[in-house]
Amino acid sequence: MDTIGNSGIRILLVEDNPGDVRLTREALKEAKVNNQLFVVEDGVEAMAFLRNEGEYADTPRPDLILLDLNLPKKDGREVLEEIKHDSELKRIPVVVLTTSRAEEDILKSYNLHANCYVTKPVDLDQFINIVKSIEDFWLTIVRLPSE
Amino acid sequence: MTHLSKFLDESLVADGLFRQLLESAPDAIIIVNSDGSIKLVNRMTELMLGYKRGELIGEAVEKMLPERFRGDHADKRQSYFSDPHTRPMGSGLELFAQHKQGHEIPVEISLSPLQTENGRLVTAVIRDISERQQARKALEQHARDLERSNAELEQFAYVASHDLQEPLRMVASYAQLLARRYQHQLDEDADEFIDFIVDGATRMQNLINDLLTFSRIGTRDGEVKKIDTNAVLRRVLSNLQLAIDDNHAVVTHDELPDIYGDELQLVQLFQNLISNALKFHGETAPEIHVAAREEGNQVIFSVADNGIGIEPQYAERIFLLFQRLHGKKEYPGTGIGLAICKKIVDKHGGQIWVESQQGKGTTFYFTLPTTTEG
Repeated sequence: MDTIGNSGIRILLVEDNPGDVRLTREALKEAKVNNQLFVVEDGVEAMAFLRNEGEYADTPRPDLILLDLNLPKKDGREVLEEIKHDSELKRIPVVVLTTSRAEEDILKSYNLHANCYVTKPVDLDQFINIVKSIEDFWLTIVRLPSE
Repeated sequence: MTHLSKFLDESLVADGLFRQLLESAPDAIIIVNSDGSIKLVNRMTELMLGYKRGELIGEAVEKMLPERFRGDHADKRQSYFSDPHTRPMGSGLELFAQHKQGHEIPVEISLSPLQTENGRLVTAVIRDISERQQARKALEQHARDLERSNAELEQFAYVASHDLQEPLRMVASYAQLLARRYQHQLDEDADEFIDFIVDGATRMQNLINDLLTFSRIGTRDGEVKKIDTNAVLRRVLSNLQLAIDDNHAVVTHDELPDIYGDELQLVQLFQNLISNALKFHGETAPEIHVAAREEGNQVIFSVADNGIGIEPQYAERIFLLFQRLHGKKEYPGTGIGLAICKKIVDKHGGQIWVESQQGKGTTFYFTLPTTTEG
């Protein structure tokens, strides 16, 4: 069984906007979340990472996926659908980052089961709190009895 | 010979009141016998179809029809003769007559039987509906254009407000990160400038969110069903509990009737009005009363407060998007609440208006339908 260990939570961030990537990194730092952050920029890369294909042959399985919706090549909705239909990947908690409530509603209408939705806030403190709560959320997940 | 069959004698028809009546009729009138042979036509028939009377009398009535309708017309004619009664022809169908020169004329035809000694005859009154149809088509086109341009506008507002949030979030977030990391390491001015950046971005975010909410009232309609307004109000009061307690407000209401509408939109409508009443209070604690009065197939609701009131010259303006009467320091807000209320009431086919006395209080009235016809 995986443990947090010294490297912290392994997070895969699927995000193409460098501003958001950096912001997530900074928020993790501000929230003092012990983490190891992997970043891919589009949906195709995300699936390759998760399935250890090509250059990602040796990458570890993430403990948590932070998934943006608007991605090049393969959008977040498709990525989520593939993850949730993959018997190996579907247990990884997925947090979907949306730009608006409206976007969240639309996504929910597709009936894909993300573990939670987070509307990206303008307020940095709010964002840091969210990142902090993602850590708490993840700790709760690992405390659940293993299958 | 009976009177009726005498009518059909062209020489008799040529005289008297009957002829005048027939000839001045605004519709084409023809009489046909059981063989489908035309026995009589009036002046309007000549004008409408371009034939001289002599070219029609004795001919098969099918001569007046476009080619494609001629085939089964004889059968239909015979079945009418077997059970004749006064009725419009082919109700629900589009009917056409054919002009001598070949073009078609949209028509409406009503049939009535005439019993004579020489057998059964049928009168057909034919009305040219070209103009009416053109007007209807123009109106339909207009409605479609309007619908499309409305949908485009709503789509535009939605996309714009959605996509505008991304860069805004960058501005606000990084300004805040600057503040968090470097506050007091820069000088006082720098701290103040950062505050202004964050404040501006936050306000713009609120505006965009409101615009998004506003545009979604048009694009995302919920189900219209019978709504228990008392339950709607309970939900609103529970949503506003914090603001009610903070302001030591008392909210009372009558027993409210059921109406037909979109539940979420109605929650928003009541919530916006009541939270306005809480916000714009005077010296004394807010007292708010929600009442309703049924009138015909609608209900007139009222939300009355004892707040600061609205000057009468602003009674219309307050319902416009982003219109505010107070400075941001006095009363915060983007000025969208009442615009949303108006849009919701409009969509339900009702009306909203305000009556107010400055310094004494404000009452908002709005009507909602008690039937689905709304």
